[in-house]
Amino acid sequence: MSRFTLSAVLVLTLATAALAGTIAGTVSPGKSSVVYVDAIAGKTFPAPSQKPLMDQKGLVFNPHLLVVQVGTTVEFQNSDNVQHNVFWPSISGNKKDGHNLGTWPKGEKRPFTFSTPGVVPLLCNVHPEMSGYIVVSPTPYFAETDASGNYKIDNVPDGKYNVVAWHEGSKPQTKSVDVSGTGKADFTLSK
Amino acid sequence: MSWLLFRANVGLMLLIFMVLLALMAQSSYAIPAFSRQYGTSCSTCHIDFPKLNDFGKAFKDAGFKFPKDDESMLKIPPVMLGAPANAEIWPKAIWPGTIPGIPPIGLRYNQYFQYTSASRNQINIPGNTGPYIPATDFETGFFSIFTGGNFGSDIAFWVDDDISVSGANANGGLGEAYLKFVNLGRLIPKLPAHVLNVRVGQVELEIPFTQAKSIWISPYDIYSQANIGVVNPAFNQQFVNNAFAFAGSGKGIEFSGGLHTGGYNYSVAFIDQTTTPGYAQGNTNAYVPTATGSNQGGAGIASDSNFKDIYTSFNYRFNLEKDKESRNSIQAAGPSGPRDHTYLNVGTYWLYGRSVQRLTGALLDETSATLTAREPFYRVGGNATFNYHNLQFNALYMYGHDYNLLPVDSTGALVPLPVTGAITPVGFVHGSPATFSGGFVDAEWLPYPWMYVMIRYDAVNSNSDYHNALVPGGFTNSPFNGASSVTRNRITPAVQFLIHANIKATAEYQFRPSQSLQLITNPITGLPVAVNSFHTNTLVLGLEYVY
Repeated sequence: MSRFTLSAVLVLTLATAALAGTIAGTVSPGKSSVVYVDAIAGKTFPAPSQKPLMDQKGLVFNPHLLVVQVGTTVEFQNSDNVQHNVFWPSISGNKKDGHNLGTWPKGEKRPFTFSTPGVVPLLCNVHPEMSGYIVVSPTPYFAETDASGNYKIDNVPDGKYNVVAWHEGSKPQTKSVDVSGTGKADFTLSK
Repeated sequence: MSWLLFRANVGLMLLIFMVLLALMAQSSYAIPAFSRQYGTSCSTCHIDFPKLNDFGKAFKDAGFKFPKDDESMLKIPPVMLGAPANAEIWPKAIWPGTIPGIPPIGLRYNQYFQYTSASRNQINIPGNTGPYIPATDFETGFFSIFTGGNFGSDIAFWVDDDISVSGANANGGLGEAYLKFVNLGRLIPKLPAHVLNVRVGQVELEIPFTQAKSIWISPYDIYSQANIGVVNPAFNQQFVNNAFAFAGSGKGIEFSGGLHTGGYNYSVAFIDQTTTPGYAQGNTNAYVPTATGSNQGGAGIASDSNFKDIYTSFNYRFNLEKDKESRNSIQAAGPSGPRDHTYLNVGTYWLYGRSVQRLTGALLDETSATLTAREPFYRVGGNATFNYHNLQFNALYMYGHDYNLLPVDSTGALVPLPVTGAITPVGFVHGSPATFSGGFVDAEWLPYPWMYVMIRYDAVNSNSDYHNALVPGGFTNSPFNGASSVTRNRITPAVQFLIHANIKATAEYQFRPSQSLQLITNPITGLPVAVNSFHTNTLVLGLEYVY
């Protein structure tokens, strides 16, 4: 790579960083809500290399809520001495995206790559009370709310986006947000 | 109303019923005794409550605990009755135990609606003093409390009691109440822990298919079969009045071992004889000490015989998964998740006891005395279960045999029955035994996790039941309302819906055995024969919930 090219990349990166902003706000009902920037036309993002873990321990999914970028491989683990199963009947209500990962013994992990964005309701067909969620964001711009319902999504390039808020048991809500250094969107979700 | 219109209405009602069920069958979280402690659904242990799945069987085998890592599964920690380190200084300290963090109480209630076929009107005849049988009838079932759990140190407990039955308060009874010392095999070197358990108290015998926790509304006919000998004077009479039936529970001690999820399991129990009507509630004889030391009002003596009935059973279950790891697991690992094993279980059981009958007689020196017939009897049979995924077939056969000790007078001649006192009995001789046989086969299919479709065939062969009905209007003398043949057949299709994991709707149709109210005399044998038999079929709808 020539010096010119290197310099150009450096300048472009710095410029992009300078243009990156934040989206912040609050979500009611608060804790454990997810806010993400919806798909951006004509733009794709490389899949992350990290493999977050969704554990099953003490007859619960742990964490109860996991947010990942589309293309992420999630590792499912059984840490109980009883048999578990992991399946999801749909992704965002689309039953064609339902999948059953099967059964595996304690300590083993089973990976799955989520290539479809949406909300994945995790279930165990042995213990119907077990419930977990994976929210697959179409972009790398997402955040989970804190205990007060506040969120902040960093490194969002300036522009106009559709921002989606989701909370378990509530209807998701989409708002259009202009990011110019900062953007703000508050959500009040209803059941 | 025309027949077509009637059918259309029935179809519409069924459709509405199904839609209502579907609407109600949303997310389900049942909370009986163990559900609360572990924060898990009834369906973790039950296919269709109270029927256990393989994990529920393992939970019960382990002494109402998760077979592994029980402590980490408990959402409500137990209360320590002594720190675990106290075990190290025993016998200078009480061995540490636990009690459940919350009272492990479950409650159960059921109610029914019954429709009886038109042939009921053959019983509703003018002049019949029996109760009138309506076409339809609402009925409350039982309201019962049950509590169970583990006290630590592998000591399990269970108590269930029917608080009311058929709407009558305090009219129920104690079902089971016991302590179970689990995994005593750990105290025996080189043996698996599960090789020996001891259960003490009032227990349902380890019969092949539980009656007390059956999913069927109607009992297994063979389990309700008492052996009452022939009392009809037209036939050779029998001095047998054995009230024992497998459906009841027994008081005593049971040694058991093995697992119900694969391999062998056995049971050896010694229980009070419970064959004498009237003794089940206890004898309050003022001249003998009772269990509580109280002459009246204390715990009485519930049997009138030294002899203890002996019950044994042995089962072997072959799990049929090809994969060894799956085969030896508590649940099989299916492609879409754990499930009950595909298995074949075969077993056998045997009970030996003595029924007691007393009558006023005399000794050979003509001294007046109460004579006691201690009549040996046995029940023996076999059972089999084949389970393939969500389809199960069950079968049980039983043969019952009572020796029939007939009273004789001082000349050795048989005393005519019933004994009236006109001829004084002085002893007993063996007569022809009173026997019966029968059993059932059933198929149970779970097409959905919330729907159970079942069909069962019951059969009981009893000459004495048939003969006892053969007296004019004689069904009042028969425990089976006029069995019109030696074999009583019943076919029972049923369907059950779990509205939630703890609420169940059931429909059971019983094609009942043939009955008869009329008889003629066989011109060849001169004996009465039942004619004009009919079936009083019933449809029973049930609603049941536990919480």
